[in-house]
Amino acid sequence: MTMTPANRELVMSGVESPVVTGTARRKALGTMLVRTGAIGTFAVILIYFALMAPGFLNFYNILNVVEQSAVLGVLAFGMSVVVIGGGSDVQTGGIDLSLAANTGLCAAVFAVSTTAGFPLPVTLAMTVGTGILVGLLNAVAVVWLNILPLLATLAVMNIVAGAELILTQNTVVSMASDFTMNIAVGSFMGVSVLAWCLIVFTLFMMALLHFTGSGLRLYAVGGHPEAARAAGIDVGAYVGGTYLFAGLCAGLGSILLVSRLSASTPGTGELLLSIIAAALLGTVFSRRFVPTAGGTILSTLFIGFLANGFQLLNVSSYWVTGVQGTLILLVVAATSFAKPSER
Amino acid sequence: MSQTKNKSRRNFFKATAAMLTLAAGVCAWSSASMGQNSGTETLSLSGKRIGISAVGTDHHWDLMAYQGIIDEVKALGGEPIALDAKRNDQTHVSQLQTLIAQKPDAIIEMLGNLDVLNPWLKRIRDADIPLFTVDTATPYSLNNSTSNNYSLASEVALQMVADMGGKGNVLVFNGFYGVPVCKIRYDQLKYVLQSYPDVKIIEPELRDVIPNTVQSAYSNVTDMLTKYPNEGDISAVWACWDIPQIGATQAIEAAGRKGIKTYAIDGSPEVVEMVANPESAAGAVGAQQPYEIGRSAARNAARYLAGEHVPPFTFVPAVLITKENAKETAGPFLPKKEGAAN
Repeated sequence: MTMTPANRELVMSGVESPVVTGTARRKALGTMLVRTGAIGTFAVILIYFALMAPGFLNFYNILNVVEQSAVLGVLAFGMSVVVIGGGSDVQTGGIDLSLAANTGLCAAVFAVSTTAGFPLPVTLAMTVGTGILVGLLNAVAVVWLNILPLLATLAVMNIVAGAELILTQNTVVSMASDFTMNIAVGSFMGVSVLAWCLIVFTLFMMALLHFTGSGLRLYAVGGHPEAARAAGIDVGAYVGGTYLFAGLCAGLGSILLVSRLSASTPGTGELLLSIIAAALLGTVFSRRFVPTAGGTILSTLFIGFLANGFQLLNVSSYWVTGVQGTLILLVVAATSFAKPSER
Repeated sequence: MSQTKNKSRRNFFKATAAMLTLAAGVCAWSSASMGQNSGTETLSLSGKRIGISAVGTDHHWDLMAYQGIIDEVKALGGEPIALDAKRNDQTHVSQLQTLIAQKPDAIIEMLGNLDVLNPWLKRIRDADIPLFTVDTATPYSLNNSTSNNYSLASEVALQMVADMGGKGNVLVFNGFYGVPVCKIRYDQLKYVLQSYPDVKIIEPELRDVIPNTVQSAYSNVTDMLTKYPNEGDISAVWACWDIPQIGATQAIEAAGRKGIKTYAIDGSPEVVEMVANPESAAGAVGAQQPYEIGRSAARNAARYLAGEHVPPFTFVPAVLITKENAKETAGPFLPKKEGAAN
C-alpha cells in the first residue's frame, strides 16, 4: 500500500512537473504503452470477431452475451469494490476469494429454502442474508483480526464451500417459481429481465462509485489509507464494508444464477477465475490501474464476448480459458510494471 | 502473431484429427467385429450444420460418445459445431443459448441435468430446431440414442443378487438421481430388489460426485468398510456408472476384504479389465458402446433431415460382462484402451 503515493506522484508529475527524472518519464511512457496495448488487444479481438464471426454483431447475439454476463457482472462489481477499498496490490491488497463459493452457498440456501416451502420474501431475505453474513465473516477476519485478505478469504472460501456441500449433499437442487421464471425467461421492451438486471446494477454502481461521497472516500481509503485516516475517514469501516457489499453481491448474483439454471448446482466456485479476471482486466481502463465501474462492466462483457466469439467462429471452447488466463497474466504484468517497485 | 497462432491452432487441429481418425478406426473395427455396422443405408448431412452440446467429456464414456457424434457428422458430410461445457452448468446453458442463435440445422444434446436443461431444450424446439439427444430422455427430444437401460440395469441387479446368494447388504451410490439414465438404473435396482427382501440397501446411501469421483468413492467405501468390519456385513457395492466402481473396487482390495463385489454400468475399459481379472473385486459391469451411441444420434439427425421417420428412441446393444462370461464378452471392450488414445 505504501507504493501508491509514489505511483500517484509519477502519474501526475509525468504531465506537470518539470523536474521529472528520465527513468520516471520512461516508466510513465511504458505505463501508457502497456495500457494502450492491453486496450488495443481487447479492441483487436472484438474487431476480429465482428469481421469474422457470423452473427457476432447481431443485436440478439449482443443481448444474449449481456444476459449471459449478468451473474458474472454482479459478482465482478462485488470484487471490484473490495479491490478499490483494500488497494489494488495483487498480493496485499483487497481481494475476496470466497466470492464465488459464497454465491454457491447463497444459491443453495435459495433453492433449499424454496423447496422447503418458505414464502418468497423469506427465501430472498435468507439468501441475501447468508451472503452478507459470509461478508461479515470476511470483514471480521480482515479488519479486526488483521489477516491478509488473500489468506482470510481463502479460509472463508473453504468454510463456505463446505457449508454448501452440507446443505446440498453435492447434488443439484432444482427449483422453479413464478419469480425465478420471470427472471429467466421474462423480457421488458424486447430486452430480457436478466439483461435488465445487469444494466440497472451497472448504472447503480456507476453512480455509487463515481458520483457519491462514499465512492470518493472508498477510492481514498484504497489509494492511501493513512491519508484517508488523517482526513477523518473510518478506514476500518470502509474496508469491512466492502466485504459486506461483496457478500450482498453474492446473494443477488445467486438469485440470478438459480433463476437461470432453474436449480442450484455444484461447481459455482469455478466462477472465481472469471470474477478475478473481470475485476483485474477492468483496471486497464483506468489511468491509475484501479477498478472502475466502466472498466469492470467492459471487461465482464469482454469475457462473455470471448466465449461467444469462439463459439460463433466454431473454434474449440478449450481456447477460451487459455486466452482468459493469458490476458490476466498480461494485465497483472502491466500493473506491476506500472507501479514503481520499492522492493 | 495471429498467423503463428493460426498455425499452431492448425497443428493442434491436425493432431486432434489424427487422434480422432485413429479412434474412429479402432472403434469401427471393434464395432464391425461385434456385427453392428449401420448397413447399406445412404445417409447424408452434406451442407448441414449440426450443433453438438455435451455437458462434459472428462470420462471415457462421454468422450467416446462425443467423438462418435462428431466423427459421424463429418463422415456424412456435415459441419459439426462441437461444444464441451466442461461440466459447468452455466457454461452449458450459455453455449446452448448461443447455439440457438446460430440456428444450426439440428442440435444433438448429450447428457446433463434435466432440471437445468429442460427449459433450454424447450427453447430449442420453440426455435424450430430439431433436437436429438444422447442418453438423455426428455419430451423435447425427437430421438434419444441410448442403451436399453431398463434391461441392462435389471440384468446387472439380478447378477448382483445371484452373486450374493439372494441375501445380504448392498452399499449404493446414488448421487445423480437427477440424471435420467441414473434414475432408470436406480429404479430398476429397486424394482429387482422388491423380489428379494433379504437383500437390503445400507442407509444412508452414498453420494458419488464429479469431479474426483474415484478418490471420493474410494474414501467413502473405505469409511464404510471400517464402519462395518465383519465378513458378511457388506456383500456388494452398486453404482449407476462405473467410475465410482473403480474407487470402490480399489478400496475393497486395499482393505483385503473378501466376499464383497462391485457392480455398475457403462463399461469403461479399465473396469472391464477389472471384471475380467479373477482376483479383482469387480463383479460385473453393463458394457455399452458409447461411440456407436454417438454415431447413432448423428445418423438419426440425418434421417430426420432427409424426411424419414425417426422413432422416439434408438437402443444400441449393450452386454453384461461378468466374471464368468468375461472370457467371451470382454474382448471387444478391451482393445479400445490401447487404441483410443485416451
